[in-house]
Amino acid sequence: MSGVSSRLAAYVQVISFFGAFLLFWEYGVRYFEVKSYILPPISSIAVAVWESKDQIFEHSMYTLGEVLIGFTAAVIVGVLLGMIVYVSPFAQRTIYPLVTALQTTPKSALAPLMIVWFGYGFISKVAMAFLFAFFPIVVATLGGFAGTSKNLEEHFRALNAGPWRTFTTLRLPSALPSFIDGCRVAMPLAMIGAIIGELVGSDRGLGNLIMLGTASSRTDLVFGCIIVITLISLVLYALIEFAAKSVWWRGIQV
Amino acid sequence: MSATAMKHEPHPGQERPVADAAAIHIEAKGLNKAFGKVKALEDINFGIRNQEFVSVLGPSGCGKSTLLRIVAGLIPYESGIATIKGEKVLTPRPDIGVVFQTNNMLPWLTVRGNVELGARIRNMPAAARDSAVDKILEVMSLTKFADAHPHQLSGGMRQRASIGQALVLDPPILLMDEPFGALDALTRDKLNVELLRIWQEHRKTVMLITHSIAEAVFLSDRVLVMADRPGKIIEEVVIDLPRPRNAAATRAMPKFGEYVAYLGKVMGVTS
Ligand SMILES: Nc1ncnc2c1ncn2[C@@H]1O[C@H](COP(=O)(O)OP(=O)(O)OP(=O)(O)O)[C@@H](O)[C@H]1O
Ligand SMILES: [Mg+2]
Repeated sequence: MSGVSSRLAAYVQVISFFGAFLLFWEYGVRYFEVKSYILPPISSIAVAVWESKDQIFEHSMYTLGEVLIGFTAAVIVGVLLGMIVYVSPFAQRTIYPLVTALQTTPKSALAPLMIVWFGYGFISKVAMAFLFAFFPIVVATLGGFAGTSKNLEEHFRALNAGPWRTFTTLRLPSALPSFIDGCRVAMPLAMIGAIIGELVGSDRGLGNLIMLGTASSRTDLVFGCIIVITLISLVLYALIEFAAKSVWWRGIQV
Repeated sequence: MSATAMKHEPHPGQERPVADAAAIHIEAKGLNKAFGKVKALEDINFGIRNQEFVSVLGPSGCGKSTLLRIVAGLIPYESGIATIKGEKVLTPRPDIGVVFQTNNMLPWLTVRGNVELGARIRNMPAAARDSAVDKILEVMSLTKFADAHPHQLSGGMRQRASIGQALVLDPPILLMDEPFGALDALTRDKLNVELLRIWQEHRKTVMLITHSIAEAVFLSDRVLVMADRPGKIIEEVVIDLPRPRNAAATRAMPKFGEYVAYLGKVMGVTS
């Protein structure tokens, strides 16, 4: 009973906090007479989003496609590379330092290059999403494999477990929590990468819509796009969180 | 050997004659092992006969686990030789079951999943495996917790599950590294009795590492005592207590106390 009421109280707190925030935005802007091309009242943002909903939806789907494909590619390539580096001392000496070095280059600086390489369209944004998401996934995957308990590895050796059995039964489940942590970091980064790509040069997508809105002083539309981007990111993050629930053994030592 | 040959004092160092060389299951001759500059084992010599129960006692860090790892084929050694059934130990063997000092449970598997893990890895037929697992869960009083996960168990239950995993394999040779280490005296006693019962029923060659003198005396045919820096065997005591042993009666025998006192003296424990 007290559990339910304290949860209810928590919801009430959150809702009233955001309610107050939105009210302050709506009336603060009017009260202080902020120019609407600087900061429009929240109601006109809502109206702008509603009026352009078809357009926003179409561009959202386009951006979402870039993010999902870029992220998926980053997962596949990142996990493969993490595995290769884990099993091959050669790759550990050569590829891994390279990956670590590349990790420190600002990926946003690569956006113009991606557009030169892959054009204005979809592919260059997928590449940007990939670049942003890739490094955390490699590092987390490798960390997960390397973190496999030495005692358990010895235990598997004592049981004459073959390499494949050891991999599927021990190493993979050991690495999963760390891998999921990598995905947690990578998913929002994939969105950031795609949007940066679209801002630098594109003909579609939410980033493109932001550029168009800015050019025509439609700040309400720009804000609308930013809010939609944030909401999509939140949903994607929630999906990762949901998947993370099935890897409940994170941090459990027995 | 025979009960009539027993004198009242223990006979430390007195070896029973080895009847048949082929019956020696575990043997080490002039074994040396170093980790860098640390000499972990020096000139280790011993033999364990088929179906014999031998305990290894020694202070922490004297190389007991290292010795067990060598016998299990898990780590290489510099010189000397370790053999199992007369064959040089090179890699882990399928006729050996090991219970490690750490519990070594997979947190994502249930207790049942962990207990049957070894049998799965060693490709025991499913039907035989399932009935063996059921029996072991029963013996280890874990049936009610079969579907729980290791982190939901007490330390002692996890140790029982670890022992159970090795017993499901029903290996002819069982190596155990302080399997009852983290247990309270009462649970330890109970598991000692249980282990003894299983051993009396299934007759395995057992090498048990322990730091409990009473446990070693109660369970073993023979006790090897090690000293540290470098790790070597300093004493060998034949435990000439009648079998089958019984929790209360065996422990109440005067000889039991004498063995415990003698081993305590050897190990430098003053009580
Ligand atoms: N992998 C290793 N690398 C380096 N030194 C090691 C390694 N394993 C063991 N040692 C050293 O070898 C010695 C013996 O270790 P071992 O684990 O065999 O002792 P132990 O008798 O089992 O001790 P305990 O009763 O505490 O378990 C110790 O000095 C230890 O530091
Ligand atoms: Mg040890």
